[in-house]
Amino acid sequence: MKTSLLALAAVATTLAGPALADKLDDIIAAGTLRCAVVLDFPPMGSRDANNNPQGFDVDYCNDLAKSLGVTAEVVETTFPERIPALMSGSVDVAVASTSDTLERAKTVGFSIPYYAFENAVVSREGLDMANWEGMKGKTVGATAGTYEAIWLEGKVKEWGAGEFRPYQNQADVFLALSQGQLDATVSTVEVAEANVKSGNFKGIKIVDKAPMVPDYVALITLREEYGLINYMNLFINQQVRTGRYAELYKKWVGEGEPANLTIQGVYR
Amino acid sequence: MFDTALNANDLIFLAKGAGMTLVVTAISVFFGTVLGIVFGVFRYQVGPWWAAPLTFVLDVFRSIPLLIQLVLANAFVTTVLGIRISGFTVACGVLSLYTAAYCAEIVRGGIESVPLTLRRAARSLGLSWRQDMTNIVMPLATRVALPSWIGLALGVMKDSALVYIVQVVELLKSTQILITRLQEPLFLLMVCGAFYFLISFPIARFGGYLEKRWSHD
Amino acid sequence: MFNYNFRWNQALNSLPQMLEGALVTIEIALLSMLIGIAVAILLTVFRLSGNRILSAIATTWVEIARNTPALFQIYMVHFGLGGFGIHLSPFLSLLIGIAFNNAGYLAENFRGALKAIPDTQARAARSLGMSAGKAFRHVVMPQMLRISFLPMTNQMVWAILMTSLGAVVAMNTDLYGVTSELNARTFRTFELFAIAAVIFYVITKAITLSARVLAARLFRY
Repeated sequence: MKTSLLALAAVATTLAGPALADKLDDIIAAGTLRCAVVLDFPPMGSRDANNNPQGFDVDYCNDLAKSLGVTAEVVETTFPERIPALMSGSVDVAVASTSDTLERAKTVGFSIPYYAFENAVVSREGLDMANWEGMKGKTVGATAGTYEAIWLEGKVKEWGAGEFRPYQNQADVFLALSQGQLDATVSTVEVAEANVKSGNFKGIKIVDKAPMVPDYVALITLREEYGLINYMNLFINQQVRTGRYAELYKKWVGEGEPANLTIQGVYR
Repeated sequence: MFDTALNANDLIFLAKGAGMTLVVTAISVFFGTVLGIVFGVFRYQVGPWWAAPLTFVLDVFRSIPLLIQLVLANAFVTTVLGIRISGFTVACGVLSLYTAAYCAEIVRGGIESVPLTLRRAARSLGLSWRQDMTNIVMPLATRVALPSWIGLALGVMKDSALVYIVQVVELLKSTQILITRLQEPLFLLMVCGAFYFLISFPIARFGGYLEKRWSHD
Repeated sequence: MFNYNFRWNQALNSLPQMLEGALVTIEIALLSMLIGIAVAILLTVFRLSGNRILSAIATTWVEIARNTPALFQIYMVHFGLGGFGIHLSPFLSLLIGIAFNNAGYLAENFRGALKAIPDTQARAARSLGMSAGKAFRHVVMPQMLRISFLPMTNQMVWAILMTSLGAVVAMNTDLYGVTSELNARTFRTFELFAIAAVIFYVITKAITLSARVLAARLFRY
């Protein structure tokens, strides 16, 4: 064990040699862009009938790769695993609807927002729940480590009643909800609508909007990769400017205005 | 009840996952067994005092949940040391050491089961240590150790269900992916469980048969 | 040498929470062992009963527990039973999942232990006028449990290690659950899981050592 550690350390020091190309260079040199995408999160990420990745985030990753002149490689991660996957270097960036929280910014580097979600409260049919406050005292759940999970767990603590359950992925949350193990969950409006419409989960309904600040999501990479972050910021700007953002919205989410990515009254 | 949307593509997808489970298991059991034999013989040969550091390290692998070993090893190698290796490599590395830790115990137990008098007799007949080990100890110890070793190999196959945590898509993970799309959790989980069972059950029975047969003559 | 900045402070601040989680882990493991031993004795009786249905139930239980991953078993307890409208909390799902696994492995150990107890003993007990049940309870079972003491200790360690699988059923109060939730919030993966690993090591060592002390006291004759 000891010798293997030393050997590893030796390898590490040789690898961290003098030429310090940054991640942007590495990606272009390698010819592939490895994106972490969450694939149980339709319409942002899911799998088609051949089990190939599809969705808004998948297309966004492909666009980013195309602009860099490299090929995209989609690596599936769950929500709790996406940042560890990034930190461990198994992916270059995460195009995984990652909310730009300050806690996360201590560890990873965020681009400007590329999408914004509103969150909905989803409940079971036959359960008397008029609005989001009806969740008080109930058994609620969400996907571990997500923006809405952190909000919901905070609410349950604030109410001092009910129970919060963090499942490992979005599918398990809706499965638990349709089985009646959960009374309600909070998820993005897009995901909630897609799941209600698909009919895969029987007996679920959207109750109310969750009173949260709009959930701005951004692309992430390692914190110190300013070159890449800078590139991604411009890329997102170009996606909106060229109309590709609206096009992808129409393709995956539906008719209507895509969310406004600017915030009134403050610089980025 | 078994009216399912599962199509041929999905079966191939599941089969790929099953293949990954078997590949990870085969690699880990192979390297784990080789290492385990080396560690086990070493521990027996140098005595408890000098083998203490090795005993401690192997003990750690048996005292910490495999899930945590995988997460830690992955974080250490890739994040702390900054080495780019695949989740598959990490999974095989950790599982090999994990297997070796248990295998070393089995090997030691096997060697200890060979009566010392028999070995002394062999040595006094002029056999060298190497001849004694290969011609006397190995055949006898194998009889004692093989049933436990089969149990270990099957245990590793079942434990390989945890390597999803380092982004390796094996059988259980591919099942979950299909569940996400098809929303038939019960049916798909039954298929997945049946697969593990069909591999594990006959081999376990065979191990039991060997144990019974060899303990009676 | 490392490009990585360790933040042990941040992780160590969570130590009280993690120790609380460790208590839940120990609680689940202990309860699952008690249930597991009770069920395993029952399964052993089923197998000895000579009743075909009962022994088929016992065999099925043992083979499923021993031939499928524990992760699968725990997931099935939560979502499998959930499909039939039986809703168990994460705590109960994990507890029952581990107890199911324990019972299967222990029943197999008991079967091995029974072989070491000569038939003549049970027959002697019967000829002294004991009923079959009494002979099993007073003569065979105590010896069976004594012979199985070491495997039971091992199973207890396994039960501790298996609690780490609770995350799949949304368990977030045990040591692994607390650690992974902290990790999802702060992403200090290495520091947090290293601390968890040390706690797990201490718990399992404490169990094996106290089992050794207990064995020395119980079986010193």
